Amino acid sequence: MADVLAAPRPRRSRLVRRVARHPIGIAAAAVIVVLLVMVTLGPVLYGQSPETANPAESLASPGAQHWLGTDELGRDVFARILAGGRVSLAVGLLSMLVGLTLGTLVGGLSGYFGGRTEMLLMRTVDVFMAIPAFFLILVIITAFGNHPATVIVTVGLGFWAQMARVVHAEFSKYRNAEFVEATHALGASHPRTMTLHILPQVVPQAIVLATLGVGWSILSEAALSYLGLGIQPPLASWGSMLQNAQAYLWAKPMLAIYPGLFIALTVLAFNTLGNALRDVLDPRDV
Amino acid sequence: MTAYIIRRLMQGVVVLFLISAVTFFLINLAPGGPSSAVSFQSTAAEREAVLKQYGLDKPVMVRYVDWLSQAVRGNLGTSLNQGLPVARLLAQRAGATLELGLTALFLATLGGVLLGIVAAGFRNRWPDHVVSALSALGMAIPGFWLGIVVIIVFAVHLGWLPTSGVFSVGKQFSLADRLRHLALPAGVLAFTLMPNIVRVTRSALLEVTHSDYVRTAHAKGLLPRVVLLKHTFKNALVPVLAILGLVTTVLFSGSVVIESVFGWAGLGRLAIEAANGRDYPVILGVTLLAGAFVVVVNLLVDLLYAAVDPRIRHG
Repeated sequence: MADVLAAPRPRRSRLVRRVARHPIGIAAAAVIVVLLVMVTLGPVLYGQSPETANPAESLASPGAQHWLGTDELGRDVFARILAGGRVSLAVGLLSMLVGLTLGTLVGGLSGYFGGRTEMLLMRTVDVFMAIPAFFLILVIITAFGNHPATVIVTVGLGFWAQMARVVHAEFSKYRNAEFVEATHALGASHPRTMTLHILPQVVPQAIVLATLGVGWSILSEAALSYLGLGIQPPLASWGSMLQNAQAYLWAKPMLAIYPGLFIALTVLAFNTLGNALRDVLDPRDV
Repeated sequence: MTAYIIRRLMQGVVVLFLISAVTFFLINLAPGGPSSAVSFQSTAAEREAVLKQYGLDKPVMVRYVDWLSQAVRGNLGTSLNQGLPVARLLAQRAGATLELGLTALFLATLGGVLLGIVAAGFRNRWPDHVVSALSALGMAIPGFWLGIVVIIVFAVHLGWLPTSGVFSVGKQFSLADRLRHLALPAGVLAFTLMPNIVRVTRSALLEVTHSDYVRTAHAKGLLPRVVLLKHTFKNALVPVLAILGLVTTVLFSGSVVIESVFGWAGLGRLAIEAANGRDYPVILGVTLLAGAFVVVVNLLVDLLYAAVDPRIRHG
């Protein structure tokens, strides 16, 4: 014990202790890891095909062979949950990256340079904030169609404006800070100052917003696919599974329950993790 | 105050103008935009004729100016699929959406404020935890899935309420019938809106409770009830008012999906039909109307906000 006390306490330990105070956040992270492992390795281990239809076994009840039963075409529901989860999570994460990148770029440039650039970019952000996100998504889908890549970018566009506002606020706060002046005095270029000196200040908030953004993106993609405007067959996502299931509410209501439970669990995990990260990384505002 | 109102009004008009530009150009500059809606099987001459009929042979800037100058006069063009004026379609559908949206907004505000008070009053004790768990669920559960679940429970199993529609077709108008149809969609929509309101109410109440003037009010011997209602609550409602603008945008997004689940013939359904049928004038008009609603609500909120908080209008 003595040498532990004598050793200078490493900086990291405070962060570790703060993390340890959030068991719910850790649980949320664990759920996310389990889900990610499930959708990546699950389809291989489970062994049932998500696409093989078997009319003889349609709408079967759960059993040893089909863990969650089969759907209207006799396809294995659990295999479809795994395959659909892969799509839902991939869209959620990639859309988040789109929103994060665009938001950081626009927010950073406008906050750093100020003046006309700021005026122009932030008014654009205002406009995107004023259009209800889902209508914007519908407009883009109507115009550009629903190729999976389009869906990913579109959903990302649904929340980039919020991201841009936060990043903008941080960048404009540090625009005239002393350490920024110092980098200029030392001859650093604008891109260097922005990426190496100011951007790290934004990282905690960006991580929090990005984590919450994954949840938002998964919900939006699910809604779009449920409406038949998102991911198209033969690809399945949790949202599109719900679209098929609604026709069988009377015969097999459970078909409509499983995909929704997985969406809710995933989004809940990402939101909880995001809120826990806010407490850990950004203790200023409680 | 008048100067402030005029300034905010101008800003609202500018935002509305920009919304129209963003949506118009997004749709018209997309590869395979409106001009591709013209059937490819027709001959070149026929295509020319159709393009000309819809004015699609003109440059996009000219088309935008034409469209905008008509739009400000209330003419939003004609639906490609239904052949009706877009403005009339919007007018037909707006009532149902308003009915659903206002009910949901009322329920969400009532429930959200009450739960927020409970959470703040029992800070860090079990009622607070229950409320925050409910809010977390409200944020995570997809509204459309909750809609399906309540249909399974209340319509399929219990048979208490209808599964869809705004009213029973072929029956005479009755308030009870309308309310029975409204209950499930409005309830679900309210549940998804509530978390925002709960969170703001709770943190605003906690902040005000710890302010100097509330302590002073207690110190001069006022009844706790009087302090709560006259001093704490009144001031805590201001931030709640401020997020109503945000809540309206969430409400619109949510109603698109909820209207589809419950077969509610409102603006959201119209938007989905337009997106599925690539009905460009309709999707443009519906988005513009939704944007206008949001701008107006934000304007009203800001004016109310300035009325109750003098720091805003002089700031």
